[in-house]
Amino acid sequence: MSRLRAEHLYKVFGRRPDHAVARLESGVDREELRAKGVTAAVIDASFEVDEGEIFVVMGLSGSGKSTLLRMLNGLLEPTSGRVEIDGEDLTALRPRELRDVRSKKISMVFQHFALFPHRSVLENAAYGLEVQGIPRAERDERATEALKLAGLQGWEQSWPDELSGGMQQRVGLARALATDAELLLMDESFSALDPLIRRDMQDQLLELQKTLKKTIVFITHDLNEAMRLGDRIAVMRDGRIVQIGTAEDILVRPATDYVASFIQDVDRSRVLTAGSIMEDAEGGTSALRDGELGDASTVTAETPLAELFTPLSSGGNTMVVTDEDGTPVGVVDRERLLSALAEEPHVNGHGADRARGRAEDGGKDGAAGGGDDESAGVTARA
Amino acid sequence: MPEFHPGDWVEDAVDWLQKHLGWLFDFINTVLTGLYDRINDVLGGGEALLMAGIFAVIALWLRGALAGVVTFAGFALIDSFQLWDQAMETLSLVLAAAVITIVIAVPLGIWAARSKAFSAFVRPVLDVMQTMPAFVYLIPGVMFFSVGTTPGLLATIVFSMPPGVRMTELGIRQVDSELVEAAEAFGTSPKHTLTRVQFPLALPTIMAGVNQVIMLALSMVVIAGMAGAPGLGERVYAAVTQVQVGLGVESGVGVVILAMYLDRMTGALNARVSPLGRRAAAKATAAMGRMKFVRYRPGTAVALCGVVVLALVAGGMNLAGGDGDKSVAGTDVGKGKQINMGYIPWDEGIATSYLWKEMLQERGYKPNLKQLDPGPLYSGIARGDVDFQTDAWLPTTHAQYWDKYGSKMEKLGAWYGPTSLELTVPSYVKGITSLADLKGQGKKFHGKIIGIESSAGEMKILKDKVLKEYGLEGEYKVVSSSTSSMLAELKRSIAKKEPVVVTLWSPHWAYNAYDLTKLKDPKGAFGKGEKLYSVARKGFSQDDPTVANWLKNFHLSDQQLTSLENRIQQAGEGKEQDAVRAWLKKHPGFVDKYAPVPGQKKDGRDAGKAVKMGYFPWDEAIATTYLWQNVLEDRGYRPSAKQLDPGPLFTALAQGQMDFQTDAWLPTTHAQYWKKYKSRSTDLGPWYDETSLELSTPEYVKGIDSLADLKGKGDKFDHKITGIESSAGEMKILKTVLKKYGLDKEYKVVSSSTSSMLSAVDRAVKQKKPILATTWSPHWVYSKYPMKKLKDPQGAWGKGDEIHVTAKKDFKKDFPELYGWLKNFHMSEKDLGSLEAAIQAGGKGKEKESARKWLDSRPGLVDKLAPVG
Repeated sequence: MSRLRAEHLYKVFGRRPDHAVARLESGVDREELRAKGVTAAVIDASFEVDEGEIFVVMGLSGSGKSTLLRMLNGLLEPTSGRVEIDGEDLTALRPRELRDVRSKKISMVFQHFALFPHRSVLENAAYGLEVQGIPRAERDERATEALKLAGLQGWEQSWPDELSGGMQQRVGLARALATDAELLLMDESFSALDPLIRRDMQDQLLELQKTLKKTIVFITHDLNEAMRLGDRIAVMRDGRIVQIGTAEDILVRPATDYVASFIQDVDRSRVLTAGSIMEDAEGGTSALRDGELGDASTVTAETPLAELFTPLSSGGNTMVVTDEDGTPVGVVDRERLLSALAEEPHVNGHGADRARGRAEDGGKDGAAGGGDDESAGVTARA
Repeated sequence: MPEFHPGDWVEDAVDWLQKHLGWLFDFINTVLTGLYDRINDVLGGGEALLMAGIFAVIALWLRGALAGVVTFAGFALIDSFQLWDQAMETLSLVLAAAVITIVIAVPLGIWAARSKAFSAFVRPVLDVMQTMPAFVYLIPGVMFFSVGTTPGLLATIVFSMPPGVRMTELGIRQVDSELVEAAEAFGTSPKHTLTRVQFPLALPTIMAGVNQVIMLALSMVVIAGMAGAPGLGERVYAAVTQVQVGLGVESGVGVVILAMYLDRMTGALNARVSPLGRRAAAKATAAMGRMKFVRYRPGTAVALCGVVVLALVAGGMNLAGGDGDKSVAGTDVGKGKQINMGYIPWDEGIATSYLWKEMLQERGYKPNLKQLDPGPLYSGIARGDVDFQTDAWLPTTHAQYWDKYGSKMEKLGAWYGPTSLELTVPSYVKGITSLADLKGQGKKFHGKIIGIESSAGEMKILKDKVLKEYGLEGEYKVVSSSTSSMLAELKRSIAKKEPVVVTLWSPHWAYNAYDLTKLKDPKGAFGKGEKLYSVARKGFSQDDPTVANWLKNFHLSDQQLTSLENRIQQAGEGKEQDAVRAWLKKHPGFVDKYAPVPGQKKDGRDAGKAVKMGYFPWDEAIATTYLWQNVLEDRGYRPSAKQLDPGPLFTALAQGQMDFQTDAWLPTTHAQYWKKYKSRSTDLGPWYDETSLELSTPEYVKGIDSLADLKGKGDKFDHKITGIESSAGEMKILKTVLKKYGLDKEYKVVSSSTSSMLSAVDRAVKQKKPILATTWSPHWVYSKYPMKKLKDPQGAWGKGDEIHVTAKKDFKKDFPELYGWLKNFHMSEKDLGSLEAAIQAGGKGKEKESARKWLDSRPGLVDKLAPVG
């Protein structure tokens, strides 16, 4: 069941936005509007987020991802389209009702933490509860609990300026968790942290998510982060969502040249799993069927490729892939592994002119590439 | 270019507003004055040093121990300048203005931060408020709100508003937008976003704005002294316009102390009220490590306790003090003060000394009476052992003592005179009324003239001169004996009705006791009479002005003196005091007349009414205003005097916000104002006849006595004439004067201001340099500096003005009695001169007391100026 639903969202800044939406619908280009001083930040965005899902919106700066996020909790009013939370249309609500929804159902974590410097850590964490009008004793208790979840036990009476960046963002996270809101909006929440801390935070988020099962919309410009966190990923470009899919979908079946160019530098060995490249058991690998591989090592289907190198290089030529119950579902051999890594992603639909794609997006790509390199570095060390 | 004067419209608008929105201005007036009065009641109510203690505790709370000590010292210094009341008035004005300003400015700033349109609208308005010269709205402020607190407060509010608004807007806009977004994302309402996030975070900036507001308010409150706002500003303004450098500096230092205190305290307030400030302060303290105690500041509760305790003590003392003040009334003037009197045992000396002893006792003094010979008496006075004596015969009889000790004594005035020496016969001796009648009558008197002590001056004159003059030598023999023998002989002869001629003098009780005829002295052979003076030691009239004034005004008629002497004579030695008492009983009101209790009032018909007088700082205005203030107080009115510039003053009179002023120079000098406001004012006629305008130069500039002498002497004066305000009528006339004497090419008139002109004169005189100043009469410049007026043989300056009293339109209706008094008010140049001199000598800030002294030294003047009954 979808908890969050966006239907044909448009956000246009500038004069006569309705008119601009009509023109966009009739196929007028975004650049053409910009020449007239009208900025179309989000164009025709539609998606659904299921309960307990981490939905990552990935895009470069200026792609409209932050604007999209702010329409999801009503901080920005869509020029056109609908946002539904649990079937309730946000765009139809009056300001007071909208604030109520925000305080009870939605939490947000910000890029630069947005902690209140005039409040202690505990007061910051309790802020959402304070807005809800919950008595002090209860909100202190719940905030303390949330801080504990975020790993900040014992820091309640400190001040934000006494904490490191990572710890500050944990306070931000605790503040978002304390309200028990089901929907968590995270706006580049880890982008301002240095790589080691960022990775810690990602791990912690995934760890928390296992127990909390929140519905999370996560904004990032870092594809590796998107791949790592996202159950599904929406790639945005120039205000439009160009592709929605799982990490593997994006990596293996990029919808456009743009996406393809994007994933160029992604560490495929960490995104692709054994399950995605194995030779299916039904396909009838003779070796598996014949039980020849009794001594071969086994891995689960979720194991990233990066973790297959060691067993394959030390042991035999083939590995058995099993599901969670240990039932063999397929096999991976050395050849298959190497060819998966070497495989060119092929763009769906039209013939790839990758040279042109790169030329077009060279600048942005370069910028994003920096971030990717960073995480790649971390990956290598890890 | 076509002319365009929006100023005319503004004037029309002002008129219209006055007519139709009076109630609104009255309301604003009430609110502002009320707020100010409340604050001033609190601040000005306490004992100065206790209040200083309260301020010090606040400083301790906000900034620590050192600040507390320095604060106390600073405020104690203000108190020692005797500027405490003024400083508290200024502080009250600042606080009242700041409170109102902040209450208005902060919401405006918040609005501006939230609405771009409003911000765009308010910015130029703030620019205007901040840069428009204050005088421009200070003066209309006077039109709407009368002089005094309100226009000053308004001008202050207008002037100090902009930083309050700007810093609030800036502070709120500066708050990180992500924080505001975070608040919104958690569903915070706009109101709570403001109070929970934006306002606390903007508070440091807003507090900086508050600091600015208070500092600007202080600077403006000083300027508002021009519009009659009370406090240090009024003092500074008065000092500057009257070239009282010393007072100006003292008031200025007072302002500086207040400014520093307010600045440091409001600056530190941030660390107490804003959470961010508290954070920063806590960090700084933590960083100090072992030096923490330097920054020790008591907790808010502790500081509050300190303030409350001091305030209670101050309040308590104030109540007690108030009770003490009330008991002063009554006739106890001397309060047990000892006064040493001396007398020569001459009848009139005994009589007046005992008379004064009795009167002084009645007034609460402790007079100490000592009989002395003339020599010791005079030297005693000169040494200061004796305060005064009443029997100095001058210029002849006591000439030797006066010559010797005169410089160490002061003459308090003659109370009897002239005295005379004479020969006297009982009046039953018919046909003898003159010395000339004695010739050929020697047989009747047995050829004898009964004399007194041979050493007496009178005997010498009689023998050497009088007998010779009237050809009585040989026919009469002067029998010397003693005064008492002479009187005994007189008594005996009268009892027997025998003719007798005795040597006598006036005053003498014998004239009261017997029926005697003083023989006339048509040839003046006895010489001119003397006067009887009271003389006191040097400085007595300063130490005890009241008694000195009584003695100065003391006067006895021949009849009074002789009857008193006679009564003492009859009562006999040792019973002088009883005789005096009995005599006083027969002369009711004598004590009240000659030893009036100061401040004793005879109420006028409109007693209790408040009278608002205005004056601009011209000397004759100051002098007469304070004179009338004293007179009106004696008559039970409640007069107040306010210094203003001429423009605001005439305006205030026309508006009916002031009652009267004494210094309208008409028809010329104040013509511009008079023309404008004549129809809305009352002219009570002139009290001073002819003023004059002139150029003047120091007396040491030789050879220049007349305007005509200036020709060709331009080099001497650098071709410069030091003028006054370019707006002054005199400056305009000066141009035509120069033309008439052909000086317009040679001399350049530099306009400045009266005070600058006076400063220039002061400087020139001190450096003995030549100067040409534009001056007028009456003015103290002529008494303070050796300046001479340049003659105007061609009459180019024209006729002088008269100085009028002018009043508000309804003055006659509101103050019928005072109207009559002022209508008859007149002062000679001499009286005005002495009054101005008295005020000048009394010093700045004591004008009222000086005028009081001057008035007290002229008994009956109050009755003359303001007759009642």
